[in-house]
Amino acid sequence: MASVLATEHPEDTAYGEVGDATVPLRFSSLAEEYRVLRDRAAVLDLGGHGLIQITGSGGVDFAQRVLARDVEYLTSDRCMMSLVLDESGQVVDQVLAFGREDGLLLESSCGAGARLLEHLLARVADDDVQITDRSGDLTVIGLEGPYAWGVVGRLIDAELASLPFESVVDTTWDDVEIVFARTGLTGEYGYQMIVPVESAAAMWRRSLEHAQAAGLEALELAMLEVRQPIPRHEVTPGASVIEIGANWLVDITKDAFVGKDAVVEAFEAGGGRRTVGFTGCPDVPALGTRVQAAGQDIGEVVYAVRSVGLDATLGLARVTGELAAAGLELSVGGLPVTTLTSPYVVPKSWSIPII
Amino acid sequence: MTMDELRARAAARQQTCSQIKKMIVSRLDLEIDPDWITDDQPLFGRGLELDSLDVLELYVAIEAEFGVALYDSDMAVFGSVSRLAEEVDPALRAVSA
Repeated sequence: MASVLATEHPEDTAYGEVGDATVPLRFSSLAEEYRVLRDRAAVLDLGGHGLIQITGSGGVDFAQRVLARDVEYLTSDRCMMSLVLDESGQVVDQVLAFGREDGLLLESSCGAGARLLEHLLARVADDDVQITDRSGDLTVIGLEGPYAWGVVGRLIDAELASLPFESVVDTTWDDVEIVFARTGLTGEYGYQMIVPVESAAAMWRRSLEHAQAAGLEALELAMLEVRQPIPRHEVTPGASVIEIGANWLVDITKDAFVGKDAVVEAFEAGGGRRTVGFTGCPDVPALGTRVQAAGQDIGEVVYAVRSVGLDATLGLARVTGELAAAGLELSVGGLPVTTLTSPYVVPKSWSIPII
Repeated sequence: MTMDELRARAAARQQTCSQIKKMIVSRLDLEIDPDWITDDQPLFGRGLELDSLDVLELYVAIEAEFGVALYDSDMAVFGSVSRLAEEVDPALRAVSA
């Protein structure tokens, strides 16, 4: 699935296949786009995120059953991030759930829309639940950065910029009905606009009058730096929610949801592996590179990149739980690394107020 | 560094993190097992979803429990439990430097 904004992208845009989507990885260079995101305001083409609507008289109950967080009272002015699990507790996807008057709208992670849709359809048992793929008629444009709030003011309405985190407003832009949300994936001020595909190009162009485009590489790097889970990199076969460290996207106090029994069982059993950040080796290690402590094998690398913010390699390792702590000197592929405290880069937005 | 030394360093941090998690759950009356909170998850906004009132409560609690006064201008200390642990026990920060 190509982005509906592909015709608006620069000719030399670098694209990549991510799950079911073809997404812009870079419009210019990773370093430049990262700096825009961390220092100013970036516009994000999030068209690779699938949009799935859950409606019907049983829609909310269904959503409550398939989402790992409590959405029973998710009103139409709120959204929340949640995992979707299968019966064995494995992560299917990480979604942003929007409360809607007639149910919920789920935004998948990048490239995971088709998989999420298949998972949901397979679990609908009654006629009172309707699952509709809206990815063909709606798309998502994001704004992220310490001054993204200023772009919101110039683009739509300054009052929307200071909405509380995870607030949602149905509003109009250029006489088009859109859903506007205060979100954020990188620790910076973040916003998302769900717009009809026929209006997306105009909004993209207008956004670029006030901010610069950033691709998926810069976005995922900034997410990693604040330990925002990135399912396509971190969800490895057989890894539990607890090993991934995505506990906060699961409400374990909720009465019931798909996968809860497996998650509780893993939690109560204790032990196992945990995920910890590291830096140090000069070259980015390959996925699966072994991690050692004092010469003993303790785990493997699950994700690693070159961090522009740290000017160093930044990675995640899944290691035995007793050694999953910051401040340790380990080795990756025989080269020394140090484990890190999250966030690995402090977002500028944490010290910049919205004016 | 030997395996025993690594284990001891990790245990020291995990112990402080555990103490902080229990304090957070107790002071804010959260209905979760403290161990469900991970060392690396965000606390403010995303993650544990603390708000500014919660943070004020934690300033008081941290000073009472750890004898450390935090300043409200630096939200980075609430970046994670592990980051907060380094604030209340600077020896941990020295280890990770």
